[in-house]
Amino acid sequence: MAKTIMVVDDSSSMRQMVNFALASAGYEVVEAADGADALAKSGVQKVDLFITDLNMPNMNGIELTRQLRAAAAYRFTPIVLLTTESQQEKKTEGKAAGATGWVVKPFQVEQLLAVVKKVCP
Amino acid sequence: MDIATLQVKMRDAFRVEATDLLAELDSSMLELESRPQDADLLNRVFRAIHTIKGSGATAGFNEMAAFTHHVEELFDEARMGRLIITHEMIDLALQAKDLIGQLLESGNPGELESTCAQVVEALAKFLPESVKPSSRSQLNAGSAISQRQRHKIFFKPHAQVFFSGTDPINLVDELCTLGNAKVTGQIKRIPSLENLNPEQCYLAWNIELVSSQPIAKVKEVFLFVEDESEIKIESRLEPAPGETAKADPLADFLNIAGQSLEALDGFLSHLRASKESDRDCCKNYLRILKTFQAAAYRQDQQEAAALLEEQIHLLEPSITIGGSLSDESKGLLEEGFQQLAALIKSLREHQPFGSRLEVPSILQADTASAPAVDVPRKEPVRVAPSIRVDQDKLDRLIQSAGQLLVARNAFPILAKKLALEHGLSGMGKEVKDAGDHISRIAEDLQAAVMSIRMMPIRTVFQRFPRLVRDIGRAQGKEVELLLEGEDTELDKTVIEQIADPLVHLVRNAADHGIEPPDVREQAGKPRTGKVTLKAYNQANNVVIEVVDDGRGMDPARLKQKALEKGLITASAAAALDDRSALELIFLPGLSTAEQVTGISGRGVGMDVVRSNISQLHGTTTLESRLGGGSKITITLPASLMVSKGILVEAKGEEYVFPIESVVQMVRLERDRIHSHEQAHFATYRNEVFPVLRLADHFACAGQLPATSWPVEVPLAIVQTNKGRTGIAVDRFIGQVEVIVKPMGREFAEIAAFQGTTIMGDGRVALVINPAGFI
Repeated sequence: MAKTIMVVDDSSSMRQMVNFALASAGYEVVEAADGADALAKSGVQKVDLFITDLNMPNMNGIELTRQLRAAAAYRFTPIVLLTTESQQEKKTEGKAAGATGWVVKPFQVEQLLAVVKKVCP
Repeated sequence: MDIATLQVKMRDAFRVEATDLLAELDSSMLELESRPQDADLLNRVFRAIHTIKGSGATAGFNEMAAFTHHVEELFDEARMGRLIITHEMIDLALQAKDLIGQLLESGNPGELESTCAQVVEALAKFLPESVKPSSRSQLNAGSAISQRQRHKIFFKPHAQVFFSGTDPINLVDELCTLGNAKVTGQIKRIPSLENLNPEQCYLAWNIELVSSQPIAKVKEVFLFVEDESEIKIESRLEPAPGETAKADPLADFLNIAGQSLEALDGFLSHLRASKESDRDCCKNYLRILKTFQAAAYRQDQQEAAALLEEQIHLLEPSITIGGSLSDESKGLLEEGFQQLAALIKSLREHQPFGSRLEVPSILQADTASAPAVDVPRKEPVRVAPSIRVDQDKLDRLIQSAGQLLVARNAFPILAKKLALEHGLSGMGKEVKDAGDHISRIAEDLQAAVMSIRMMPIRTVFQRFPRLVRDIGRAQGKEVELLLEGEDTELDKTVIEQIADPLVHLVRNAADHGIEPPDVREQAGKPRTGKVTLKAYNQANNVVIEVVDDGRGMDPARLKQKALEKGLITASAAAALDDRSALELIFLPGLSTAEQVTGISGRGVGMDVVRSNISQLHGTTTLESRLGGGSKITITLPASLMVSKGILVEAKGEEYVFPIESVVQMVRLERDRIHSHEQAHFATYRNEVFPVLRLADHFACAGQLPATSWPVEVPLAIVQTNKGRTGIAVDRFIGQVEVIVKPMGREFAEIAAFQGTTIMGDGRVALVINPAGFI
């Protein structure tokens, strides 16, 4: 069965782009507009991997990671942060919150898929 | 889906979002100009730019993203409190924003390269040294295949590794894909079953990997776990790992100090030059002092902090109380500044050599000294969920809903037929009731469907603050723009087409209308001119007003100009009253500005404005008082698709007047119509206006013009650009819903008709465009 990946980003085009890329590799994709949205949707549907932006309204990526780790269903689920090169300290913070890894924006499709494959083979 | 298709889809998706973001940036940057220290606002601007950069690069707009990076740096610095946004920066940022838009649209971004480079250069002037060298990420690890190497790898994941969502065995598997690997598990730390915690990792691995992949590839496998896990890699040809230089906190402080001093110096000379103390200047001064002081405290630079404290104390009262800065205070500020400069200089000289290196990248500046910026958790605006729909689909739906509305007109006709022709009055009533029911539903449906096409005029209005600001700054005028009724809704088509005419009018108002501040002051007006843009609903119309309190238009000048250009004759000019003289501005080729400015162009606009508005079936009227300002009123039908009309009959033909154009319908007694040769006039409510006979105007072959008026004349009084006109018909039939279909191409030239419409009983009627034939 295809793995379900939730893409969390407040930029609709970023969500769509990640969605296209993942869908082209055969993944099921669910989109969420921010952390709160992601949290709500993750309760409805089992997600195998989260890819989340950091800087979002309502609930940011770090807080989302924390909340997901606190939920029984997602304690061990890979969470990949979408970061930019200027967010080194966020990476550290993200890891402390329980993130698995990160993808640096901007990314090439192959880079994204490589990371997805790495954390969720 | 192949990569190329993917790229195209990505680019399309991005363009849609970027357009929205750019529009938002336009308004938020302007807001920022008036509140440069609003943290929320700074974050909003930063986030929009950040998204454009990040998503843009991913979508393949590399030039655009590289350029946007520089703009982002500016706002990142501001967001971190390391610089303060000035008018000049906003000027530049707006210019950059426009360029981003162009880069997105441009098929060949290379041609914008030099313009971009200029902006980047100008931006760099505002940026502190530490940011200037563009910091590219280290992720572009060389992909060149190197020689085969033997790597001895020891990997012991952190005991809590599962809680980061990592399954270490995946990493081991990944290593194996890089070459020939021999994996040995270390199981000695696994406790006995009763002591085993299944959520903890006890394992470690020894891996011997023979691979032709570069060492970077091998290390990359552990990229996400390298901090917490124990990883040892021994390679035969061990390349020296480049240790990144740690940022030196002192260097960073000195950096901030240098910038602050520079900024303070600028403000000081400004203060020295101006007699009265400029409040904004003091405010900025204070802000820099505080930022500077915070940095000093962070670095335990007590001496600097104390000096700064004195200055803050000196300045604070003049801002809170608003009193002016005494010369003595100015002197003290100067003195404090000199002391600070000396202190920083000595610190710099005693700085250990090793740390005098430039801080290499923004990353390190961040980790070293920047205060953590809290990402705002809550955004006050909740956006209702929306979907984007293909416009064709929407138009089909609207068309159908409109047709339904017209088709329901058949019910009363059927009911009448049943009752009168077939003697089934009971049946007729039932049909009528059923018709009424369907009618109500059709109306609801139509209203709902139409509301989809309706857009708030905000989308047009939001570009004007920028426009007015640019004009004001370019001409040294003080212009304030007031927007009212931004939520007024108009049909999407109208919104799209109204933008250009409005731009013209607002430009005219700010450029020609508003006088320079000194001139205004002499005339006893406030220095700041006011341009008001206002939209509101009135019956079936939307009214848009562009009002300025500027110099107004001079009817005499207009006449003069029109004469000079040979647009009217001297006798015609003499006959014009002031009101009619103002109408001259709508003549093609008339320019009123003494000098043609780059902003308002050559005065070819007003006639174009009026004809554009006419195409939307709207009217344009002008009021102006010399010295008191001008007001242009545009009246537009709120919706283009389905509208109400008045069905009339003239010489056996049926015509429809669009209801927006009809001011009033009256039955006028014959003796109130006066004829003079072929011209007719009516007097009604103390007004005199021309009267036309519809039947004469559209006289069919063989018909002679009527020679006499009936006792009571049904008159539709219509409003056009030329004022009021009465149109005499034979009979008013009633009000109808119409969907106006444009005339076929062969008839497109006939201005007298907007188009045709199909009536409930299937007959076709012509829809009149009064402006087209009066």
